[in-house]
Amino acid sequence: MMATPVVETHALSKSFGETPVLRDVNLKLFAGRAAVLIGGNGAGKSTLLRILGGLSRPSAGRVTVFGEDSLSLSHQSRRRIGMLSHQSWLYPNLTARENIEFYATLYGVPHSQAACDRWLDQVGLLAVADERVRSFSRGMEQRLSLARAMLVEPMLLLLDEPFAALDPDGVAMASGLIRAQVERGCAVAMTAHGALQLDGLELEACSVARGRLVPYGEESRGGRVRSMPGR
Amino acid sequence: MGSFAALLRKDLRLELRSGQSTLALFALSLLILVVLVFALSPEPRDRAEASAGALWVAMVFAGMLGATRALLSENENGCIRALAMSPVDPAMLYGAKLAAAFIFMTVAEAAAVLLVVLFFNLDFGPSLLRLAPPLVLGTLGFSALATLLAAISGRTRAGDLLLPLLAVPMFVPALIAGVKSSAAALAGAPFSAMSQWLGVLVAFDVLFVTLGGLLFEHVIGED
Repeated sequence: MMATPVVETHALSKSFGETPVLRDVNLKLFAGRAAVLIGGNGAGKSTLLRILGGLSRPSAGRVTVFGEDSLSLSHQSRRRIGMLSHQSWLYPNLTARENIEFYATLYGVPHSQAACDRWLDQVGLLAVADERVRSFSRGMEQRLSLARAMLVEPMLLLLDEPFAALDPDGVAMASGLIRAQVERGCAVAMTAHGALQLDGLELEACSVARGRLVPYGEESRGGRVRSMPGR
Repeated sequence: MGSFAALLRKDLRLELRSGQSTLALFALSLLILVVLVFALSPEPRDRAEASAGALWVAMVFAGMLGATRALLSENENGCIRALAMSPVDPAMLYGAKLAAAFIFMTVAEAAAVLLVVLFFNLDFGPSLLRLAPPLVLGTLGFSALATLLAAISGRTRAGDLLLPLLAVPMFVPALIAGVKSSAAALAGAPFSAMSQWLGVLVAFDVLFVTLGGLLFEHVIGED
């Protein structure tokens, strides 16, 4: 029996004013799979992730997440989505621990204090947990944002350039965390500027080129795919 | 209620650490009252009305500043997007932001009342206690309106300009009722002289708290 996709888009298009950003995107994301959307600046990758997360309204087409319309997700479905954005979504005048505990409370994470400490440890920030985020480097903010997105134990993880600003240790740490989420059964969609390789993880790569989703490496042919390759 | 408490605690913690909103509210109130007390130089029989007017002018301008600042922390680093995506009911988000704005304004107003008494040479007496109903109702109404409008204006480029353009005209009915009831309270008039104006303030509060709770989802929602 064919598995039900966690995310499915039908003829999705998005324009800002007269400028089309996404055109006729058909995409399926499945539990326990990871997809990479590859493209240059302004290709529409982040916009696509924002639409999948219900933060942006498509101009045309339909998006379903956990079988619900992405613009009217139930609280239960929202609780199962973690997202890493270009912006950190962190409060600079709160400490790392206060930021994480705040989001843990909003998402009803059980045993939140222990969970927060565990995640701070996993992203290598436990030693600076009581320092304000304002004093953090961009890379440290990225680590904390990854913890914020993952501590809710999401079943859909949307990661906009998860390796941006990270040092080699940070990249290895983030790769391990993403792999663990996929192995847990989470559907992961992430963006990147180029091809990615994560040890021990099979990635489904697509390019976002001129607003269309095409199999990675076929951008110049202007082809179209109806779903992620390998589905 | 855990989410509501977490949201309110976070806003209060941020404010205690920066002190920006309350200090800005207090400084602006002081400035307005100093200007008005010298500009009006009221006769003793006009003091109640002049001081009530000055107090509400200070409250409106300081309240706008406070409401804008209360949402600045959410717009910094895009945190409002995280709240919009979270499983928290948008009406609860609005309630928490409203409660935070109400608390900041109340603290600043307590200081403003003290300044009004000193600058306008009013008596410290029971009439000051009678100021509480119009001030509490007015603060709640203005917080409700300004929180909603600040969330709207925060998403536009000319947000700082848009907020007073929208808020002041919409607040006029409550402003008139607030000034009239406060003047009656300070003049020692019977409660019946205030009651019809307090009714207007209650209606204003009900309208804008309800509207805010219903509309906040669309204000902070998707692009």
